[in-house]
Amino acid sequence: MIAPPLRLQVRRASKAYAGVPALTDAGLDLVGGEVHGLIGENGAGKSTLIKLLAGLEVPDSLSLRLNGAALELPDSAAAYRVGFRFIHQELSIVPALSVAENLFISNPLPRLAGVFVDWKDLHRRAGAVLQRLGIGHINPRRRASGLSAGDAMLVKIAGAFIGVDEGDERLIMIMDEPTASLNSDEVELLFDVIDRLRSRGYALLYVTHRLDELYRIAQRVTVMRDGRVISTHAVADTSTATLIREMTGRSVDEPSADLSAAQQPERLRLRVCNLRTDAVAQASLELNAGEIMGIAGLVGSGRSELLYALFGIDPLLGGDIELDGQSLTELSPARAWNLGIAYVPEERRSQGLFLSDQVSQNITLPHLDRFGVLKTFVNEGRARARSRNLGESVALKITGLRQRVRQLSGGNQQKILFARAILAQPRLILLDEPTRGVDVGAKFDIYRLIRELAGQGASILMVSSELDELIALCDRIVVMRNGRTADVMPAAGLSENQLLERCYEFS
Amino acid sequence: MTESDKSPGMGPRFSLTAFLRRYGTFIGFLLIVLFFWTQRPQTFMTVPNWVNITRQMSILGVVAFTMTIVMVTGDFDLSVGAMASLVGIVAGTTFQNGGSVAEAVALSLLVGAAGGAFNGLLVATVGISAFVATLGALTVFRGLALYISGGASIYGRVIPAEFSSFGRGGIALGRIGETDLALPNLTIIAIISLILVFIILNYSIVGRRLYAIGGNMEAARFGGIRINRLRLLSFVISGLGAAVAGLMLFSRLATAHPTQGEGLMLQAIAAVFLGMTLSEESQPNVIGTLIGVLILGVLANGLTQMQIDTYIQQISTGVIIILAVTLSSLSGRQTRYRRWLRRLLGKAPEASS
Repeated sequence: MIAPPLRLQVRRASKAYAGVPALTDAGLDLVGGEVHGLIGENGAGKSTLIKLLAGLEVPDSLSLRLNGAALELPDSAAAYRVGFRFIHQELSIVPALSVAENLFISNPLPRLAGVFVDWKDLHRRAGAVLQRLGIGHINPRRRASGLSAGDAMLVKIAGAFIGVDEGDERLIMIMDEPTASLNSDEVELLFDVIDRLRSRGYALLYVTHRLDELYRIAQRVTVMRDGRVISTHAVADTSTATLIREMTGRSVDEPSADLSAAQQPERLRLRVCNLRTDAVAQASLELNAGEIMGIAGLVGSGRSELLYALFGIDPLLGGDIELDGQSLTELSPARAWNLGIAYVPEERRSQGLFLSDQVSQNITLPHLDRFGVLKTFVNEGRARARSRNLGESVALKITGLRQRVRQLSGGNQQKILFARAILAQPRLILLDEPTRGVDVGAKFDIYRLIRELAGQGASILMVSSELDELIALCDRIVVMRNGRTADVMPAAGLSENQLLERCYEFS
Repeated sequence: MTESDKSPGMGPRFSLTAFLRRYGTFIGFLLIVLFFWTQRPQTFMTVPNWVNITRQMSILGVVAFTMTIVMVTGDFDLSVGAMASLVGIVAGTTFQNGGSVAEAVALSLLVGAAGGAFNGLLVATVGISAFVATLGALTVFRGLALYISGGASIYGRVIPAEFSSFGRGGIALGRIGETDLALPNLTIIAIISLILVFIILNYSIVGRRLYAIGGNMEAARFGGIRINRLRLLSFVISGLGAAVAGLMLFSRLATAHPTQGEGLMLQAIAAVFLGMTLSEESQPNVIGTLIGVLILGVLANGLTQMQIDTYIQQISTGVIIILAVTLSSLSGRQTRYRRWLRRLLGKAPEASS
């Protein structure tokens, strides 16, 4: 008997966080034997949709039909039983265990006499699964610690098939940017495996930022934007231009003319010459006082790492940094703050905030010396008064300065980092994804603030994956490719497509 | 900024779990006091007995207060007990060699600071976990104490009278009924160290930075805090605290034995843990530590008065610590305890990303 191909219908998927919709009435169909691409900018709702399918988040509404039968996903165990398998871009491989043990990580190990591990059977079954997927080059007995990123990804994928009989096609594999940390050879191997899975009749949902990959492996593609599904196309009939336009269709409010007109006479603020670190191959740029410069590039192009170098987080291996003509050596975050360099990190929870602490404590932390009494004690009154002022200038919405930062929304948490950054009237402000995970209202507050700061003479260097944001906000944009500053161009008149092409161009 | 009218997560509804989680340890302390009061109505709730309790707890207090500073940064110091023993032997040997009290005290404090710096360098600069570093230091300090003393106690006439009388003496407060009442010198030292630690942690710039390191080390580094320097400092303070406690113990007993401080370490860490349960965010805080020390001190005092076997005392102390920490993690945020657990299991304390 030949079973009909698997068909999963996702409908009315909605989810709001603290009243801010992350996903609104999204729907798509996954069909066995097909790779379905899912694309969209950061914050488009892709990961929220995946979390709902994984049973990790409780949806506000969601209707699922598998081959016509209604489906409930109360928790992640239920999702697993139904046949969902999730491959995330972060590799959760246990390096101390063997490949075979890693394959069985979500399944019981085969046993001998009920208590001992049946190593022989384990290795045999692990080997069989690897063979089935055409991953013959990985020995199941070796330790996982030496695996390349690509092989680790393949092991992760093979692990999804443990306990699944050959010929059982009820598996829905969802991959979230699996190629983010792979090199091109590894990507080829991965694509071979994905092709093999598709031809076996499995359904795959493939999330990516790289459009070229879609044309390689996907048959259909769904575009998301602002929490909604914009369209679903057959990949073969759709141009890159269409996809990019649909992904980025939103218009950001244009920089108001008076601000960009109020340009000071050009004065060089920052000169970076042949800078080199572990993650940056070669970076050079010049930034004027009052200028907003964007850094564009793909994930892994060295954008954030350039900021790390300028803030003294990553040590310099070579090159010079000059700030207002002063050469900076022995840079550390502590020295950077003292020199008037401020930094808003990409990961605000892990790199920026002290979630258990109060708002004012978070704002003033790098600047405590300014509120010192006898250089020893903190003048809490003055620290709070200053925090209150700054809170107003960044339009912070809080119940009080003693509120714990944990309780605030992402947008307000981000504003706290801005308040911290501008406390000491910095000369240079480094921003890494300043509007990531921030609701639309807070986003515009932050745009306004960035323009104000530049208008007051601060120089701003900002990394962003949102190209529309870079074009609308920046005076000039530097494009980074493969750890190098490849192009510098004025932002005015630039289209997102042109910018994206510069990011993709292989040199 | 707009004062929003809703305060998320701080609803006015009373929750018994939340109440117990927040104040359970303090209520437990009051219950313990009440229990002994009813059991020994004549002797327990009297001024002389409480003065006595403060003296009994003073040594543990100094260690626990300074330990709080280390634990605020997310580390801990297992070597304090061995350091206290070593300092007794160092001071005693100084006396044996004709040194004055001032010389003995100065040398002791120097040893304490040096030992703390040793721990701090291992943890902050070399980057090994506090568990392994201070466990190693514990063994080194203990070995040194045994080696210097040849395993024997130092006591008797070599110890200057003004040194041994300090630990028993105090400032006269007057008479209550039949008894002369004095504020013990040891209690005074404990109070001074409590005030110093309180000021450092709550009012100083360094204190804010220490809490920041314990709260989120990477964010602290990105926020311009010189992490290594401050972690080193916290271990030096802990070493100094252990040295002071070692001197207090030596003075009170008029005897220096190479292992006499060993019980202090577990008790001090327990006191800080008890104190953490009293903080809204499960952070180490010195007032909480004081309550923790009081709980341990009152338990020891009361159970002794009831002539309960010291072994049973140990069991009940352990049970109370476990109860308190369990209570405070009831449906609450367990992140900090989990982080502790991870550190205890030897994961590198600094995220090396």
